[in-house]
Amino acid sequence: MQLKTDATTPASQSALGLALLTAAMALPGADTAQAESAPERGLISLKYLDYQDSQRGRDRISVRAPSLMIMTPLAEVWSVSGTYTVDSVSGASPAYHSQQLTKMEDLRRAVDLGMTRYFSQGSLTVGANYSHESDYLSRGASLQGSISSESKNTTLNLGIGVSDDQITPSYGGIHETKKGTDFAIGLTQVITQQDIAQVNLGYSHGLGYFSDPYKLADERPRVRNHTTVLARWNHHFLRTEGTSHVSYRYYRDSWDIKAHTLTSDYAQPLPQGWTLTPLVRLHTQSAASFYLPTDPATAPGPTFPAFGATTYSEDQRLSAFGAVTLGIKVAKQLTPDWQVDLKLERYEQRAGWSLSGEGDRGLEPFSARSIQFGISRLF
Amino acid sequence: MNPRHRFWISRVLLILMVFSLSACAGIQPVQPWEKGILAKPEMTFDGDKLDNNFTEHIYSSKEAASGGAGVGGGGCGCN
Amino acid sequence: MQIFRIPFEAMASTCEVVLCADDEGTAQALAQTAIDEVKRVEHKYSRYRTDSIVSRINRAAGGEWVECDEETAALCTYADSLFQNSSGLFDITSGVLRQAWDFRRAVVPSEETLAPLLALIGWHRVERRDRNIRLPDAGMEIDFGGFGKEYAADRAADALAGQGLKHGYVNLAGDMRILGPKPDDQPWMIGIQDPRRHGGLMATIPVASGALATSGDYERFFEIGERRYCHVFNPRTGQPVTHWRSVSVLAPRAIVAGSCSTIAMLKQAEGKAFLEEAGMDYLAVDHQGNFHQRGDDAH
Repeated sequence: MQLKTDATTPASQSALGLALLTAAMALPGADTAQAESAPERGLISLKYLDYQDSQRGRDRISVRAPSLMIMTPLAEVWSVSGTYTVDSVSGASPAYHSQQLTKMEDLRRAVDLGMTRYFSQGSLTVGANYSHESDYLSRGASLQGSISSESKNTTLNLGIGVSDDQITPSYGGIHETKKGTDFAIGLTQVITQQDIAQVNLGYSHGLGYFSDPYKLADERPRVRNHTTVLARWNHHFLRTEGTSHVSYRYYRDSWDIKAHTLTSDYAQPLPQGWTLTPLVRLHTQSAASFYLPTDPATAPGPTFPAFGATTYSEDQRLSAFGAVTLGIKVAKQLTPDWQVDLKLERYEQRAGWSLSGEGDRGLEPFSARSIQFGISRLF
Repeated sequence: MNPRHRFWISRVLLILMVFSLSACAGIQPVQPWEKGILAKPEMTFDGDKLDNNFTEHIYSSKEAASGGAGVGGGGCGCN
Repeated sequence: MQIFRIPFEAMASTCEVVLCADDEGTAQALAQTAIDEVKRVEHKYSRYRTDSIVSRINRAAGGEWVECDEETAALCTYADSLFQNSSGLFDITSGVLRQAWDFRRAVVPSEETLAPLLALIGWHRVERRDRNIRLPDAGMEIDFGGFGKEYAADRAADALAGQGLKHGYVNLAGDMRILGPKPDDQPWMIGIQDPRRHGGLMATIPVASGALATSGDYERFFEIGERRYCHVFNPRTGQPVTHWRSVSVLAPRAIVAGSCSTIAMLKQAEGKAFLEEAGMDYLAVDHQGNFHQRGDDAH
C-alpha cells in the first residue's frame, strides 16, 4: 500500500478536489476553525496571586490579589465578560534608587467589562475599565475590531482606547490628572497547519502627571508617547502534541527608553489531563533621558539634579537594566469542565544585565517571586 | 506626531506588509479542513486572561515598558 | 486510557464508535453523543417517515414551494455542487429509479417502464430560492441517501471531537471518519470489504486521520447470467453502472470520500481519471478484478 495514512489533506491539490472540499465545509458543523466565532459555553475563573519582591535580604512589596472572571455567550452572536480584581499591596518602596525603603499600603479594586459581537468575518468588542485606590483613580474605555479574509487565514485587528486617571497623593495638596490615548493595529496570519503568527503595532499618547509623588526628586515630563511592535508566533509540534509560544516586543518612548522583551513558553500535554508549561522571559531596557544615576560622591544618599534641570527621576524602573524570568505552570483538567492550575515564577533584575552595558551599578539587584493559583469551570 | 515617530510607523507598516505578503506568496494557503490544530485553544493568542492580566500588571509596575498586545487595561499608581 | 469499541445499529447496518477513555462507563457516555447524532440525521432524513422534511418536499412536487431548515438547505447546496462537479451524474433526484428496479424480484425493467421515471430526474430543474425549494414536476423526488450516511459519520465525529477526543473513529458500515490515530500514534488498520467475498476483506489500509468511504456493486444487486445489476444508477440511462466492483477513497471528510467514490462509480471507465483529478487517494477494483490506486498509471 502506498496510500498515505494522514487523509486530513488530499493527496494532491486540485481545483476539483478543492471545489468538493469547500462545498463540504459549508455544511453545518464542518467549519471547526472559524477565525472568530462566539464561544459556545461560558467560563468562570478564579485566580489568586501571591507576589513578593525584594532586594538583598530585604522584602519590598508584597501583593495578594484574588481575581474573578466571568464570560458568557449571549444569543449566539454575543459574549459578555467581566473581571473583578482586588490587589492588596503592602511593604516598602524605595524613595530613590534602591535606598530608603518607605512603608506603604494600599488596596486597589479594579473592574473591567467587555462585550463582543461576532460576525461571520470578524468581531467588535467594546470595553470599559475602572480601578480605584486611595490615591489613584483610573477610568478607561476601548473599542477593538477584527476582520478576516475570506479564507480566514489573515485577520486584521484594530483598536483604540482612552484613559482618564486622577492622582491625589495621601499627603494632600496635589490633585493631578493623566490622560491617555492608545492605538493598535495588527495582523494575524495562519502560516501552516501548525503555525500562526501575529504582528501588532501600538502607539500611545499620554498627557499629564507621570511623576511618582512618593519619590524624592521626581519630576517627569508631562508627555509620554510610546510605540510598540509585538511579534508573536505559535507552533504546534506534531510529534509531542506540545505548543510553543514565542513573542518579541520592541518598545520605545519619548523619554528615550528603548526596550526589548522576548518571551517564550512551551505547553506540553501529559497523560491524565496534565499540562506542563515552562516559560522564560528576557527583558532589557535603556534608561530614561532624565534618569539620575547613583552618584559615588553622594551615595548612599540621593543624587542631586543639575541646577536648572526641569525633569529628573531616581526611580529604579527608569534605569537601564536587564531582567530574566523563569517560570513553570502546571495545569490539570479535572473533568471536561473543571480545570485547576498553579504557576510559579522567579524574576531577577540587574543593572549589569542591561544590553547596552551601561546600567547603574549603584543599584541593588532586584528580584521577585510570584505564585498564581487558578480554578476555572465551563458552564 | 513628530518626524521620528512618523519614520518609525512607516517602517513598521513596511514590516507588516512584507510579513503579510511573504505569508501569502511563499506558502500554500491552509484550507478550512486543515485547521483542526489551529482551532485548539493553545494555538490562539488569547491565553489565560487572568494570568495575562496579572503578568502585564506586574511587569508594567516594575519595568519602564508596557503594552503591545492591544488597547485597554487600567492604569495604577503602582509602587 | 484504554480503547473501547461501542457497536450500535443505525441506517439498517451495524455501526461502531471506537474511542479511548479511562473506563467503560465514560466510553459509553462519550460515544452516546455520537450515536445520538447519527440517529438524529437518520431520523430527520428518512424517506420512510411521512412527516420528514424530505417527504414534505417530495409531496409538494409540482406544487408549492417548501421552506427548509438551514441544515437541509446546506445539504441541497452540497448536492448542487456534486451535480456540477460530476457533469450531472450525481443527481439526488435519481431515487425514483427505485420504483423500476426491484432487487427482490430481480427483473430488468423495460424501456417503457424507465422512460417516464427518467423524465422525472434532473436536479438542474429543481428551483431553489434561499432556503426554499420546489420540485417542478409532480412525482419528482429528492433524497439524501447518496451521502446521508457519510454526513452522519462526519457529524458524529465532530460531536466526539467537540468533547475533546483525539483518538478513535466513527464507522457507519464501512464509511468512516477518523478522529485521530491510536493513543500510541499508530494508524488504525481499516479493512476494506472484498466486493466478491461476502464478509471477506480484500485489503487493510492504515489510516491515522481523515476519512475513508467505499462504494461498490455488492451492497444491493441481482445477477442474471454473468451480468450484475447493482443499485448505483446512471441518471440519464436509468441503468446500473458496471465498470467498478468497488471504489474506496481517502479524503479529509467522510462526505467528500463518499461522494468521490460514488461519482467514480458513476463515471465508469472515466472514474479513475476523476479520482486522479480530484487529488484524493483511492483503492479501486474494476470489473475484471484488477486493483487501481493513485498514480499507478504513471509507472
